[in-house]
Amino acid sequence: MESNKQEMVTYSPNQGGNNRWLTVTTLLLAVGAILKLVTPSVGGITPNWMIAMYCIAINLTRPTFGQAAGIGLVAGAVQIPLSKSAFPYGNLLSEPVGAIACALLLQATMKMNIGAFNLRPAITTFLSTVASGMTFITVMKLVLSLPLSVYLYAMMPVVFAVAVINMVLAQLLYFPAQKLFAARGNKA
Amino acid sequence: MNSIIFDNMSYAYPGGDAVLKNINAIIPPDSFTILTGPEGAGKTTFCLAIAGAVPGYFGGRMAGSVTVGGVKTTDIKVADLAERVGIVLADYDSQLLALTVAEEVAFGLENRGAAPETIAAKIREVLALVGLSGNEHAEVAGLSGGQRQRLAIAGMLVADPDILVLDEPASALDPEGTAELYRLLGELNRKYGKTVIVVEHCLRHVLPYANNLLVLQQGCLQLAGHPEDLLPRMLKEAVYAEAVPAEVKTIYAAAAGVRKEETRSA
Repeated sequence: MESNKQEMVTYSPNQGGNNRWLTVTTLLLAVGAILKLVTPSVGGITPNWMIAMYCIAINLTRPTFGQAAGIGLVAGAVQIPLSKSAFPYGNLLSEPVGAIACALLLQATMKMNIGAFNLRPAITTFLSTVASGMTFITVMKLVLSLPLSVYLYAMMPVVFAVAVINMVLAQLLYFPAQKLFAARGNKA
Repeated sequence: MNSIIFDNMSYAYPGGDAVLKNINAIIPPDSFTILTGPEGAGKTTFCLAIAGAVPGYFGGRMAGSVTVGGVKTTDIKVADLAERVGIVLADYDSQLLALTVAEEVAFGLENRGAAPETIAAKIREVLALVGLSGNEHAEVAGLSGGQRQRLAIAGMLVADPDILVLDEPASALDPEGTAELYRLLGELNRKYGKTVIVVEHCLRHVLPYANNLLVLQQGCLQLAGHPEDLLPRMLKEAVYAEAVPAEVKTIYAAAAGVRKEETRSA
């Protein structure tokens, strides 16, 4: 048959609804908020669960930039009452920056895997945390007129330390979250 | 425009053989198309491909493309395409979700965030169209097969899509209901400019309204064109000739007889 010579493209079934991204994102942000509330600080460093969670959500659902900005804004708003920082409103700027950075990085076509292992969550979360953290501390430095030495030697190392922790957390939690995202009805 | 273009399209369900093979077809906007062919010819898959459910929802392997209103069905979400393409499945029961008739019709509008007054007015209008007025509060489970089929059609019409795809919409209707349904579809096509695609085996009631006919056989598009041109070819080339209505057969047989007489006397 002539048809057998045609190049067939394989499509995977996509039986999710239009608002699955929203449901999964809200769920992950809620989990992030609770974890942020209960995780103690070790040596002044706590993982930023909210960033880790929205990075997982963005990795899973691949939202548009507008949607990503919305996710960031919600994450930022949720963090205001939970924040231990001196200027919690900075989150309203830093989290949209982090979320959009994550969505931007996911548009990049370069490979982010080792063999069959997908490293995209780790890489995007690390860079998004850095983007969000740098925005946050810069805003804080400007608003509170902090000395440059504090900014460079106290705050910046914390941003990178948190980014490393987030990177590990996001990569570990990505796989169970993916299972949740792909679950249909009572079939896990 | 809302033309539907199948460009060298082939499709196989996951793990199966090709059910549509090298389909090239153009369904013009505002046309009334009948899709016919024997069981297993790929008619339902053809319908699902217009709605984007093939390959979007089912997955599988596809070659070529299906374009609806200038957009490839593989480039758009099934849910977004549903704004333009309404479909009534052959298994119409599977698309009824609500408890009562009014709730069922309201479902699509509620999902789109329509105002309650609009919904109430739309329910009345659409139920009147399909002949279910007065049944607003009836339980869906208590309706007859034909009534449920008409309810599924109401559920499709309420969203006001430009393209209506109906897979054997008269399978549970009596002859009177069938004639009434096709009169309605004909009106939607002519008066409101809806593009209508209907899968049908019994062509008698639908032929007066149709201006396009597609005949599928074993996944291949055998014939396509205006019914007036195709019906004699279906008879002559024995392509699903069983579907040609008896009256039409008689007319063509008589015409052929006259032609024979003419050649003999000449």
